[in-house]
Amino acid sequence: MVATDRIHSDTPENSRTPAPRGRAVILCVERDPHVRDLERYFLEEAGFDVNFAEDGEQALTLARALHPAIVITEILVPRLDGLALCRRLKVGADTCDIAVLVLSLLAAQGRAEDAGADAFLGKPLAARRLVETARALLGAATGGPALLTALVPESPRDR
Amino acid sequence: MTVERPPLDPTQVSDTAAFPRITTGNREADRILGGGFPANSLNILMGEPGSGKTLFVEQLLFANAAADRPVLYLTTLSEPLSKVVTYLQRLPFYDASRLGTEVLYEDMGAQLASEGIGALVPRVRELILTVGPKLIVIDSFKAVHDLAESVSEMRRLISELAGLLAAYDTTCFLVGEYAEADSATHPEFAVADGVVEFARHKLSTRDERFLRVAKLRGSGYLEGLHALHISGAGVEVYPRLVSPVAPEGYTTSDERVSIGVAGLDVMLNGGVWRGSTTLVIGPTGAGKTTMGLQFALAGVAAGEPVLYVNFQENPSQLARAIRGLTPGGGAAPPPNLHLLYASSVELQIDRIIVAIFKTIERYGVRRVVIDAVGDLAAAAADLQRIHDYLYALVQQFAVLGVTVVLTMESPGLVSSIDETGGDFSRLSYMCDNIVLLEKTRGAQVGRRLSIYKTRGSGHDDQVRDMAITATGVHVR
Repeated sequence: MVATDRIHSDTPENSRTPAPRGRAVILCVERDPHVRDLERYFLEEAGFDVNFAEDGEQALTLARALHPAIVITEILVPRLDGLALCRRLKVGADTCDIAVLVLSLLAAQGRAEDAGADAFLGKPLAARRLVETARALLGAATGGPALLTALVPESPRDR
Repeated sequence: MTVERPPLDPTQVSDTAAFPRITTGNREADRILGGGFPANSLNILMGEPGSGKTLFVEQLLFANAAADRPVLYLTTLSEPLSKVVTYLQRLPFYDASRLGTEVLYEDMGAQLASEGIGALVPRVRELILTVGPKLIVIDSFKAVHDLAESVSEMRRLISELAGLLAAYDTTCFLVGEYAEADSATHPEFAVADGVVEFARHKLSTRDERFLRVAKLRGSGYLEGLHALHISGAGVEVYPRLVSPVAPEGYTTSDERVSIGVAGLDVMLNGGVWRGSTTLVIGPTGAGKTTMGLQFALAGVAAGEPVLYVNFQENPSQLARAIRGLTPGGGAAPPPNLHLLYASSVELQIDRIIVAIFKTIERYGVRRVVIDAVGDLAAAAADLQRIHDYLYALVQQFAVLGVTVVLTMESPGLVSSIDETGGDFSRLSYMCDNIVLLEKTRGAQVGRRLSIYKTRGSGHDDQVRDMAITATGVHVR
């Protein structure tokens, strides 16, 4: 499949710094090639600069290097799980301002909240909800409202 | 006993609201599926040609289509798009204005034939990215196998497709003319979350169609064969009756109900219990129908809505009989008396049962006569099935507090329980009371009546003489 090949060819070493002017950087931590494919398509279409990490350790390194506006992470990723990654980002002086969206197969909204995540979405990926959440996180980073309460309640209707 | 809740929901499944569901567009089918197909699932709809699966899925598509989340119908080799759409236009749920915007059809047959089956997943991906479909149907997916160059190519395709579909917020239906044995050999069955089978049994004068849920991950569902009927309106589904759970506070009634024959009421110590089922059994011409009508009219006289189900006398014959038995011989049948007539040639038991319960629900029916259960049995291709039905029916009646008379014809001219053989012994334990009618032969035909059993009540053990006059059955 073309798209999958493209992803594999430019990840994980995909750190294009600095980001293209005016495009907010998102770092996605995801192993599933289909999910990566969809994340890249929908988020790029929405105007984000999308980068990928294969595992939590790599994500931490890339987060420090790229300083993305948002990290979108699955919980089930190797070496450092998504929740541990979130906690590490939130305590790091240089990374604590990065918004974290947990996008997981696990129904772990509460645990994501405990880990300091700014938002949680369950899989499978719903395009509109993903983009809206990313935009809202970006807005919040520049002085918008608190997010977990505003975004998280997930009703099937608007997925 | 007063029944205040909606009389009937035999198909309640408890865990309906746990997560989002995709409606089938059919209330009964949704109930069978515990509320609909779980959202984001991958399902197989299997069955031979003409079993109703394509119609079923079209109904489902139109029920779910919306401008912001269209639904997608991909045809492969076995179903030319032109044919699908031609038939579709005749159905009441078809809406031309939604075609091309909310309901998208695409024929992939030519592309798959020229480029190979490898073209399928990239195209589905492209459609997901550009259209964002809420539902995706691939019809026929089984035909894709015929185009595969190797088993491993097919396995690869299914694994890719399943991976793609699992990543995105969509629900998929693979439709195919699979036979039961295919489920062991076709890899799509291993990745499917749900499998619904459409079966067709060919009988001599008609076909019986059924729907069966073979698998539904993450959801409860009603097991067994559920009748399916194809009509001009689309697909109708009749969930199999299951024995009801007695509602809280359900108790047997201690109220006696008149059977409508004065002498028999005396023999029964004042009538039968409300909510009980009484079987009246006897040879032809013994007075079963008359007795059933008397029971019905006694209910009407007591102000109770009554349902009379009948398979032999047509409505005008019945109206004449009712006039004869009504004091004063009123011209019109009483408004409280609801007749359900079904010709045994065309009846499918599930439809009759659903009609019975709909009538009970609509009119608050308190008494039911089924004349005769043997006709119902004759209509069933499968005797075990009719037996299960009657059992569930009798249970439902008891829970609802509906008092019932079933009539049954014994095969000989003179009644004897033994002559009815197996049918009787199976029915007898379901019924609370059994009344035997007999004809005696001598210089003149005589009639006798006796009570074979009553449940929870004493009764007169004597064999009594009985007569039929213009005003009905009389016990001496």
